[in-house]
Amino acid sequence: MRSYSEANSSSIGSVVPVSSVLQQVTRTPSREISLTEVSKSYPLKRGATLTALQDISLTIGNGEFLALLGPSGCGKSTILRIVAGLEQPSSGTVTVGDSTPQALSREHRLGVAFQEHSLLPWLTIRQNIALPYRVAGRSVDTAHVQELIDLVGLAGFEDARPKQLSGGMRQRASIARALVLDPEVLLLDEPFGALDAVTRRRMNRELGRIWSELRITTLLVTHDVDEAVLLADRVVVMTGRPGSIRHIEDVDLPLREHSELTRSPEFHDIVDRLTGLLDAPKDA
Amino acid sequence: MTSRLRPVLYGVSGVVVLLVLAELIGQLGLLGTTWPPLSTVVAFLLDPDNHTLLGNALAATVTEALIGGAIGIAAGVFFALLAVLVPVLAPGLDRFAAVIDAVPAVALAPFLILILGREGTPVLVVALSVTFIIYISMSSGLSVASHPYQDLFTVLGARRGTRLGLVDLPAALPKFFDGLALAAPAMILGATIGEWFGAKRGLGVLFISAMQNYRIDLLWAAAALSVICSLIIYGIAVAAQRAVARRFA
Repeated sequence: MRSYSEANSSSIGSVVPVSSVLQQVTRTPSREISLTEVSKSYPLKRGATLTALQDISLTIGNGEFLALLGPSGCGKSTILRIVAGLEQPSSGTVTVGDSTPQALSREHRLGVAFQEHSLLPWLTIRQNIALPYRVAGRSVDTAHVQELIDLVGLAGFEDARPKQLSGGMRQRASIARALVLDPEVLLLDEPFGALDAVTRRRMNRELGRIWSELRITTLLVTHDVDEAVLLADRVVVMTGRPGSIRHIEDVDLPLREHSELTRSPEFHDIVDRLTGLLDAPKDA
Repeated sequence: MTSRLRPVLYGVSGVVVLLVLAELIGQLGLLGTTWPPLSTVVAFLLDPDNHTLLGNALAATVTEALIGGAIGIAAGVFFALLAVLVPVLAPGLDRFAAVIDAVPAVALAPFLILILGREGTPVLVVALSVTFIIYISMSSGLSVASHPYQDLFTVLGARRGTRLGLVDLPAALPKFFDGLALAAPAMILGATIGEWFGAKRGLGVLFISAMQNYRIDLLWAAAALSVICSLIIYGIAVAAQRAVARRFA
């Protein structure tokens, strides 16, 4: 834990003032995400059903960073996929602002980054980051693409192809791509799940820095307690089968701006408590 | 360096061994008079007196192979795209392609001659086999783009056509060129077989008349030419396939 903080100042090699990006983003209002009594079940053979989610009610405030924390298979990714409009809830409703996730994605107003970076291997990093413009049928705002490249610290690698970059750099590109259309909602599904621990913590701090500038309504799905506490305003701890909300933790520490606080006892208190909740049996 | 050269060395020495073996079998007459020494075949190929005969045949066969190949490639890509864009047609197209491919060209020949005449039949035989190969490779290529890409494009709000152009088609290119490398030998083979059903010119015609007139040297020369042609087209396809694989996979 200590080494992360010590590596902090040197690791962010190319921090760029993001005031210009900030201006771009503040033009578009962020949105509130609201899930009301959402359940999701999948039919199995012989009439049985698997309940993946049960009665999830959750509101992610305008400009809030919320982390969904849980063991694998607890349905946290399913929540993200429902909010992304990739799946429909079996019952309950999901609204983003005053519209549905599907409507929002049709209007190209969702930003998403998955664990698999899903950069197109035949495009350069710059072309990959500009991809959402082409999908939306808009002309590419090259200046804005460059700002995001600088923001995520990929300056100098614009013309490289994804396989020439490290896993961490690919995830930076993936996050820049998620941000390029100034989305109203940012969805992050284990974006650093495939990275080693040191790179992961470094990317956490960089995401924290970027996010503090943009303050978009954000839903992060992770099984990493430190990552959740480090980045989120609120951490929702889930338990599995069927997935339900066990605990909601407000994180009041200004960790995104002051990552040296990861050495503080308050940080460790929260992490220890949430880790305990993940570990303990459901009705304990 | 040695690790890169070794497979080339093995490949070259394998070919040399085969050629020497063919020459020895011919020289010693181990397999009778129908297996001439390789040097006799090469001498026949190099003899200027034979160049008009061989050249005309070769030109006819290659032309048929290329025209049929182009038709086959276009049809294969068209049907693969059709199966993707109108999914309800996909199972039917799969089965139809398999049935067409399962019927031997020899069995189809009378029918093909009725439709296209003796001259058009080689082109159609080539087109049929190439269509099948390209259809199969293109269909599997179009489903290569994995779920993360599909999810990404759905969330980005991409229409089906947009996703096809930006992801599915580029991702399918390596498989398409795999198919092309497979189709290359089938093109010359298809043209040659097609010519057996009464074409006026071509390597297939040479095969038939050489066999009927017991011209062993001509028969082997025609065979060697068709092999060399197949290898050249195959080589071009493989080179293109490697270039594309580096870029798109």
